[in-house]
Amino acid sequence: AEITWRMPAAISEGSFFYQNFMERFAANVEVTTGGKLEVQPFGAGVIVPAFKVYEAVQDGLVDAGHSTPSYLVNQDPTNAIFASFPGGMSGEATLHWVYNGGGEKMLQDFRREKMGLHSIVVGIGTSEFMAHSNKEIRTTADLKGLKYRTSGAWAAVVKETYGGVPTVVPGGEIYTLLQRKGVDAIEWSTPGANLSEGFHEVAPYIIMPGVHQPSFLWEVFVKTETWDALPDDLKAQIEAAAKLTTYESYAHFGNSDIKAMAEYKKTKVEMITLDNAVVEEMREAGRSWARKKAKELADAGDTSMQKIMDSYFAYQKAWAENSEYLVRDIVK
Amino acid sequence: MTSFLSVIDRVSNFFGGIAKLVILCLVLSMIYEVIARYVFDAPTLWAFDISYMLNGTIFLLGAAFTLQADAHVRIDFLSSRLSHKTQQFLNGFFYSFLLGPCFSIFTYIAGKKAYKAFITNEVENVSPWAPLVWPFYGVIALGLGIFALQFFCEGMKYLKREKIPGEHAGEIDNIEIDTIEINNTGEKS
Amino acid sequence: MNFLPIIMFPALFALVFMGLPVAFALVLISVLFGYIILGDMIFLQLYGPILSTSSNFILAAIPLFIFMGAILERSGIALRLFKALQLWVGRLPGGIGIATILMCAVFAAASGVVGAVEIVVGLMAIPAMQRYNYNGELIAGTICAGGSLGTIIPPSIVVVVYASIAQLSVGQLFAASLIPGLLMVAFFLGYLLIRAILKPQDSPPIPAVDLDISLSEKLTITLKALIPPLVLIFAVLGSLLAGAASPTEAAAVGAVGALLLAASFKELSFETLKASLAVTVRVTSMIMLIVVGGTMFTGIFALAGGGQLIRDLVDFIGFGNTGLIVFLLLIVFIAGFVLDWISIVLICIPIFAPIVKSAGIDPIWFAVMVMVVIQTSYLTPPMAPSIFYLRSIAPPSLTYQHMYRGVIPFVILQLLVLLVVALLPETATYLPSLLVGL
Ligand code: NA
Ligand code: NA
Repeated sequence: AEITWRMPAAISEGSFFYQNFMERFAANVEVTTGGKLEVQPFGAGVIVPAFKVYEAVQDGLVDAGHSTPSYLVNQDPTNAIFASFPGGMSGEATLHWVYNGGGEKMLQDFRREKMGLHSIVVGIGTSEFMAHSNKEIRTTADLKGLKYRTSGAWAAVVKETYGGVPTVVPGGEIYTLLQRKGVDAIEWSTPGANLSEGFHEVAPYIIMPGVHQPSFLWEVFVKTETWDALPDDLKAQIEAAAKLTTYESYAHFGNSDIKAMAEYKKTKVEMITLDNAVVEEMREAGRSWARKKAKELADAGDTSMQKIMDSYFAYQKAWAENSEYLVRDIVK
Repeated sequence: MTSFLSVIDRVSNFFGGIAKLVILCLVLSMIYEVIARYVFDAPTLWAFDISYMLNGTIFLLGAAFTLQADAHVRIDFLSSRLSHKTQQFLNGFFYSFLLGPCFSIFTYIAGKKAYKAFITNEVENVSPWAPLVWPFYGVIALGLGIFALQFFCEGMKYLKREKIPGEHAGEIDNIEIDTIEINNTGEKS
Repeated sequence: MNFLPIIMFPALFALVFMGLPVAFALVLISVLFGYIILGDMIFLQLYGPILSTSSNFILAAIPLFIFMGAILERSGIALRLFKALQLWVGRLPGGIGIATILMCAVFAAASGVVGAVEIVVGLMAIPAMQRYNYNGELIAGTICAGGSLGTIIPPSIVVVVYASIAQLSVGQLFAASLIPGLLMVAFFLGYLLIRAILKPQDSPPIPAVDLDISLSEKLTITLKALIPPLVLIFAVLGSLLAGAASPTEAAAVGAVGALLLAASFKELSFETLKASLAVTVRVTSMIMLIVVGGTMFTGIFALAGGGQLIRDLVDFIGFGNTGLIVFLLLIVFIAGFVLDWISIVLICIPIFAPIVKSAGIDPIWFAVMVMVVIQTSYLTPPMAPSIFYLRSIAPPSLTYQHMYRGVIPFVILQLLVLLVVALLPETATYLPSLLVGL
């Protein structure tokens, strides 16, 4: 290879996300660039701690990084719009917004301006389970006092709007604490990714849909200098590899989710689908959170979240109002 | 020179003492969380972050104190056959000329990270509590700094042949077992 | 062929055998080889493991468990506990050793952190065994082997990390490792009993005069000495198994429980507290720095191309399934001599898991076998954490000779458990199969 990028990920080697986004991207880059660029992937914690991947690239420690804007939400809530948040768009609509509604361009401008990084989207996902739960959740009232392992915007909404108790549980302890009722509910990932974690074996309820995380997004980033120095044909090849990775992994997620859902239905776990009215109430609470954050930032002189959010909400509205022509394969 | 070394020893001891108090803080904060979570059904937002920060503090503020006590594990089945002079030279060399400088550089980097976190108001990445991280980063820099100084200090002690590597007593020697002799009724005799 | 990752090992051993503390050797080798790869950036790179280790929530259980053990030891509660245990199992040959392994099993069930288990029980058991003139090798072997039970008896951090990397259900892996864990306890107990019968001088029975008391007296001692610490241990165990605390929270419950018990026996002096805190700081820093050094070493090994090297090697040698399993486990076993479990899991499992999967080998069964082998890594020198932990609490009269020779029979017993699991996969797969379709 003419160029080699050492690329650490914010997730463990061998995990569902790592294989789908990281390894798939490395393989696709090899094909599209004809071997000119080699991506050397590393799992989280091997050469860079999971939450320090952005910083490691900025520091010049590694050439490229692979992470999700979710990990930057505490630092700057603008990232929540890209990472997906309660009230955000479905994976399907997100895919359209990112590639055809100007989303990726806005992410790139935002990263370039704020962090000196060039970003490329490499993964968009399906909805997560809202919860594996020891308690029945059917209304927003059921969230009151609920010890709920969650983070980010949803944690803020659960706490401030519904009087729940968001709690941090380290990855390795989630299963045990859920099993022993140290927490009432947890959210983790998509149906397909959760299946092997076995949460459904220890908690009697699964709550859907994944209001808190309707979709998610992972990106690959390099320093702007690194990117700008690349020849144009190579840039185009890398972008093609990234886009291919997004589409392939999206289909992979959906496929494994559907299979996993069939598996869950063979077990004794009770799957609760929230009423539309409840779902919309929660989503609106999530959007209020985003508007509040955008206003706080704007008042402090930073309008980027406001602009990005406006584009996002406009696209979501258009999608909601005009997608009724789509055939939905749902049997009720 | 000797007085300089004893100042470093005293600084390490002081921060070792802080680390001891931090252990009590760790116990108290975790117990508070246990009671809040299981008795009052209301876990705190901060227990998770506080616990790792306190543990990191115990580790780093105690690192120099531990080095001074020569309590870091050696595999000495081969090296113990070397003369004391050789052992002192080897350890003195590595401590003074390699480990001391390395940890000085780590200190510099940790200090830079702490400063950057301070000026950018960096917060913890994913916790709902989202605490500012510069105090913890500052403790890391502080701990590494004392650790680096203690490396120079211990290295000098070896090179000046005032101390022999691995000649420390095991931890259990600090426990006065013989004073707690127990008779069959389980009472102290 | 890239030799850089291979050379890291002899270089590490050179420093370690020169008598430099292991943690410092790991740091220096990481700096040296990292400099070859990254140049000046290496120090920034290695700051990562310092930060991530210092920020690790799970490791926060370590000082709490150490503190609990230190208080128990100094207060005399542990000694009374052993006295009482001796009254019950003292007539058995090798009785104190048996009591030690039993206690290790209980503590292992209350903790996933191997060093903490060993330190808690070691602080109690070493003086007890020395008082009855146990053979030094047997003391060392028993403590080290008992301490390593934390890996295989759930809850276990090794299991959690393994499961996350190999994409297996943590619950299934916990269930899968339970029977092999109990099997290992049984093997250890059987060995101690048989050895005591064959070589009574190594683990002499407690003098009859010490045990010659009436039943009512015996019960009084038990109530006074055995029940409070058992309540404490079961508070830790219980808060984990039933009461739902994380290891760190359970450890805090244990620490406060130990303080309360010591106070209730009027054995909690200011001096006791101060000395316990000092030990806790030293042992915590010692363990944490090895974790830092190990994480640094793992990262540089990966950067130097170590992972690719192993992948190529496995591709190069073609095997049937049995041969493949033997080969992979052999790598884990050998790696166990020179690497800590975190490194073994981080380096080997991402490479092995896909190989195992594509060969159609039951991943749960394979994981349990790896877990049993990883347990030997605690005991096999030169990188033997169990021995390091023991060293950190052992009196000078317990030498490395005792430790290195003492662990050999226990490593053989662990390999026997491996053999049983290999020949009877049901030992690993039966309990998880009960979980399916809850
Ligand atoms: Na355990
Ligand atoms: Na070993």
